[in-house]
Amino acid sequence: MSLPVGASGLSTQQVEDKLVVSIGPQHPGAGHFRFTITVDGDTIVDVLPDPGYVHRGAEKQTEYRNYIQSIPLLERSSLTDVTNIIGPFSLAAEELMGIQAPPRAQYLRMIMSENQRIISHLYWLGIQGIFLGHSTMFMWPLGDRDIFIDLGQMIGGARITYSYWIPGGVRNDMPEVFKERALKVFDYFEKRLQDYERIFFANPLFLKRAQGVGILKRQEAIALGAVGPVLRASDVKSDTRIDEPYCFYKDIDFEVPSFKDCDTYARCMVHLVEMRQSMRIIRQCLDKIPEGPVKVKLSPQQRTLPGESYARVEAARGAMAFHIISDGSTKPYRVKISVPSFRNLIVLKKLLIGSHVADMPAIYWSLDYWPVEADR
Amino acid sequence: MGEITTFEQFLVRVLKIVFWLLIILPMIILPIFYLVYVLPVEFQCGFNLLTCAVKPNWTLAIDMFNPAEMNPFVSSSFISQLGLGANSMLFKSAAFPGLTFASVLASFVIWGERKILAKMQYRVGPKYAGRLEGWLQSFADLFKLLFKEIVIPAKADLLMFIAPPFAMMALSGALLATIPIGSSTYISNSSYSLLIAIALLSFFPIVTLIAGWASNNKFSFIGAIRALYQMISYEIPLILSVLGVVILTHSLSLSVIASYQTKIWYIAPMFIGAVVFFITATAEVERIPFDIPEADSELVAGWLTEYTSMLFGVINLAVYIKLYALSAIFTLLFLGGWLGPAGVPDFVWFLIKTIIVLVIFIIPRGFFPRIRIDQLIDTGWLWLIGLAFVNVFIAFILNSTGIL
Amino acid sequence: MALTTERDSRMSSVQATKQDLPWEEKNILAGLASSFGDKAKVSYARPNRIKFLIEPSNLIELARFARDNLHFDHCTNITGTDFPKDSQIQVDYHFGSIDREGLRRIILTLSCRIPSSDPKIPSLINEFASVELHERETAEMLGVVFVGHPNLSRLLLPEDWDDIPPMLKKYRLPGRLEGE
Repeated sequence: MSLPVGASGLSTQQVEDKLVVSIGPQHPGAGHFRFTITVDGDTIVDVLPDPGYVHRGAEKQTEYRNYIQSIPLLERSSLTDVTNIIGPFSLAAEELMGIQAPPRAQYLRMIMSENQRIISHLYWLGIQGIFLGHSTMFMWPLGDRDIFIDLGQMIGGARITYSYWIPGGVRNDMPEVFKERALKVFDYFEKRLQDYERIFFANPLFLKRAQGVGILKRQEAIALGAVGPVLRASDVKSDTRIDEPYCFYKDIDFEVPSFKDCDTYARCMVHLVEMRQSMRIIRQCLDKIPEGPVKVKLSPQQRTLPGESYARVEAARGAMAFHIISDGSTKPYRVKISVPSFRNLIVLKKLLIGSHVADMPAIYWSLDYWPVEADR
Repeated sequence: MGEITTFEQFLVRVLKIVFWLLIILPMIILPIFYLVYVLPVEFQCGFNLLTCAVKPNWTLAIDMFNPAEMNPFVSSSFISQLGLGANSMLFKSAAFPGLTFASVLASFVIWGERKILAKMQYRVGPKYAGRLEGWLQSFADLFKLLFKEIVIPAKADLLMFIAPPFAMMALSGALLATIPIGSSTYISNSSYSLLIAIALLSFFPIVTLIAGWASNNKFSFIGAIRALYQMISYEIPLILSVLGVVILTHSLSLSVIASYQTKIWYIAPMFIGAVVFFITATAEVERIPFDIPEADSELVAGWLTEYTSMLFGVINLAVYIKLYALSAIFTLLFLGGWLGPAGVPDFVWFLIKTIIVLVIFIIPRGFFPRIRIDQLIDTGWLWLIGLAFVNVFIAFILNSTGIL
Repeated sequence: MALTTERDSRMSSVQATKQDLPWEEKNILAGLASSFGDKAKVSYARPNRIKFLIEPSNLIELARFARDNLHFDHCTNITGTDFPKDSQIQVDYHFGSIDREGLRRIILTLSCRIPSSDPKIPSLINEFASVELHERETAEMLGVVFVGHPNLSRLLLPEDWDDIPPMLKKYRLPGRLEGE
């Protein structure tokens, strides 16, 4: 049985005695993404990833918009991680405009960014749970995610797309009740994380499914340019927040997790630890946040200096970077987005070859590959 | 079913609905028919369908009630001529301990499963069908499925594609025939009923394979192959785990095995056997953590991928009836069947125990992920067969020393 | 081919602030200057970001040097930019380092310009495994041919795309007027 695989550069060779199965884009385990696997028995022998189903040309569209107009457009690329995807864009634009956000805005950015990281990780955790067949781990994180969305709503106004982190600061200040509410939520969620650990992360069947599956060694992870939790699970303690601190991450005390296992289990644990650390960061930010203005006044058609800038932040899925080339007009000349999902795609190919068919969803989603973000 | 533009299409749709109603109606009408017309006549004519259920004051009530007045067309001779009596084979297999009863129970099991899982996951679950906690949800789903279009893939093998749902249903129904639910409430009382049940269980993989192959879908095919692997590797420990009980009772009849447990339920001496039976039965009905053939994140829906509408509904119902049958066999083998304090009909005890076993079958879905096929087969061949042999050994010792 | 266009000189005049560079950046600058001299011109060098303007013919040599001697072990991004006024396409390779903790903050950019009429550039796939998908994306978005890449097929664009590469400035989004 074999399928002729059509265009988009995939192999058209007939594979003898092997089953060629197309996973996605209409598949519960793929999302807006397709990969064609060649199966020999229960082993995957070849993988052809085929992204691009949700490519919307965000980079091209920014050429028609000025800097402020680009922000709602760009955050659509990564709806689970909106604050962090426009973060580097605003940082790069600020560098070109020659301005700097006031300190209170920087702290608010950190609070929002970490809150967004928790939201994104909870979404990830829910899908990882159901991909392994654990329906409770699907419902619990997605339910608790709503509480953090409510927190984000208190500051940003919207539930998902706040357009919060703008050049020159943030869109608005946080309400006074936020601190009290956030601390309450964190106390609750820390208890819930222990429940998660008991029912999922320490579950013997989960350990059986995750440990030793999809091993990405340290040297391979570095050579393939893996980022984010994937890289940290491969025994590399690298995090943009530490390596190249933006905002006030220098003043904050937090840990970057890294695991020596290099497998799916390690990638899951990285997410768990990062959620705890994010709460720790927000607690410190709420204590340290100074009073003051939250944005610099910019003109609606703000001009930039001609030049280029390359800014990056640590998004939920890894290092998110923007390369902006400006010719001095109100619109960017060229915007290039370096998204973590796209960079981790090459890792997927490496990990899937030689693994079991049944491990495919576990490995695929442990990379936290978000097709919309990768396609931009 | 698409838009209706011509009269023929209208006729076709009406006929389709009538066809399904004809299949479903016996399940609804038969019990009503029996309850309203047949049962009173039966009682009056001296038949004791539910012997232990009939109390003196009940008989008094029935004496005062004259069915001939109620419906002159129904008389006892008419019914017995038709062979529709309450102890007739048709009533038993179609209505009370048989298919209708099991189907209704299965639909409540589906509802119960959804409610229990919802409570575990801090959700509400079915809510609106029926005033009380959505207890009619399964029936609402049934009618929804009835009115859905049956999509048959263009390249599917038509006969082989249509046959498996009904074959599954028939096998599940046949499985019910072997199960006595009370000392006098049973469909057939064979002295080899346990053997027959196991033989029927081993037919399911074949049906699954046919379904997966006939769908002409790669996911179905992989799912069917996995189902075959899984069921074959779990059949052996299943049979071996039962062997201990058979050694103790020297009988292959489920009713004899149940009635032997007056002194002690066999779950105490045969605990390892009960555990092995439970695990293998979970794998037989493809429930989490063993739902590998239907793993939805890898194989869409496994061997069920191409089934739609009532074909899917029938398969689902058959699987839940199979689950009920396996829980019933577990109850009979290890929990003393219908044995319990007197005062209520004995099948009530049986049903209480069976429902508890069903709930225990359901709960793991809330806290286990799915395991992998190679791990499953390793577990089956390495551990479960070994444990089953240990169980057989214990049974030998208990039997030869005369303790039990 | 003129490497230093008017725009580049303006960019470097704005951004080249060489005072107080950390020693890692100074090392990189010194290393490239001593080994390649005029082949690698500094466009700008500020803390954490260094950009060199190079010729495409020297690309592989410089990338190998960056990998082996400067310890940049992966490619984070490739930006392709169309400059229709100069009829050139600029390809920026951004390299990062993970293995060396001190270098993690630095992004080293090697920037080449190739003529729009014959956009050919050697592929770095043998030097950096991580460029594979970035090169495929740049190839389909700007029509740049990476010589030596094993599979330069469609990645993000639809399979039936039959227009010019969309990131060229010549390509206008449907519904957008000229100059809008």
